[in-house]
Amino acid sequence: MSGHEMMHIKPSRWSWNRFKDLLNFYVMLGVIPATVVITYINLFIGPAKLAEIPEGYVPEVHEYYAHPITRWMTKHVKKSYQQEYEVMCQHIYETDYARKLRLAEKRVHQKMQEKQDSQAYYYEPVTGRNERHIKSMLERSVENVGTR
Amino acid sequence: MEDPPRAPAHNPFFRFVHAVQNTIDRPVTWFRESVVTPNRPDHVYYHQKFRRVPTIDQCYTDDPVCRFEAQQQFNRDKLVDGEIVQLVRQRLKECIAYEIPDQDRKCAKLKEEFDKVSESFCMKYADLGPYNNVKDAYMKQKHRMLWERRHGKVGTGMKIEE
Repeated sequence: MSGHEMMHIKPSRWSWNRFKDLLNFYVMLGVIPATVVITYINLFIGPAKLAEIPEGYVPEVHEYYAHPITRWMTKHVKKSYQQEYEVMCQHIYETDYARKLRLAEKRVHQKMQEKQDSQAYYYEPVTGRNERHIKSMLERSVENVGTR
Repeated sequence: MEDPPRAPAHNPFFRFVHAVQNTIDRPVTWFRESVVTPNRPDHVYYHQKFRRVPTIDQCYTDDPVCRFEAQQQFNRDKLVDGEIVQLVRQRLKECIAYEIPDQDRKCAKLKEEFDKVSESFCMKYADLGPYNNVKDAYMKQKHRMLWERRHGKVGTGMKIEE
């Protein structure tokens, strides 16, 4: 009880210490590298200047933007406006094709219902493939087990 | 973007003001001109030009791809027309700010131009609701033409059937 080292009774500093640790970690990991990279890009590469499109030249997609980071993103990360546009056109075409086919099917059904003269639509062609497979399975089971 | 040229200061007050401004301006300008600009590569960027595609009145009714392309063209044209209206409006505002209190007399031509431009913008794009639709805009034009056929030019009042 009468030692030199006495325990200091005080509130816990754990949360504050952890906050300092996390702050240090994220500043070192994110803030400092990002600042350095972005400053370098802005100083030494810099935004592009506006120019007229030369005759007969089709610019790449990334040449439509000014800032170098935007240019990099459009070149390597993002999908271009033209790509999305054409993909959407194709998607619309395909779904519209399917819709038109479905409408035609519905009209055929209605006509068959009205006229009641054709069973051809409902005829399902049957192949012997499934039956042959089942037969071979049965023969094999007779060999293995002894009975069917 | 270059700074406007500064008039040479002859009286001491403006010389003092220029000196205070130069304490910040000179080092920054030196840094930019000697360290930054020589090391930058010359690259350029362009404004994209889009091809014209058939508009909604040239599309068949069962062709949704044509309608999609017309809708996208409508959206792009709406942005471009919006920017045109903004430019005309900005010119008018600058004129008014410069010419107050004579603005009624001196900016009359710009005001007339702005009225015409905003009227044509509203005739095409306004009153369609929040989700713009190229077909609705087309129908709006059709209804306006029908109304004009029955009642005369828009703004001259309705004719009541006897």
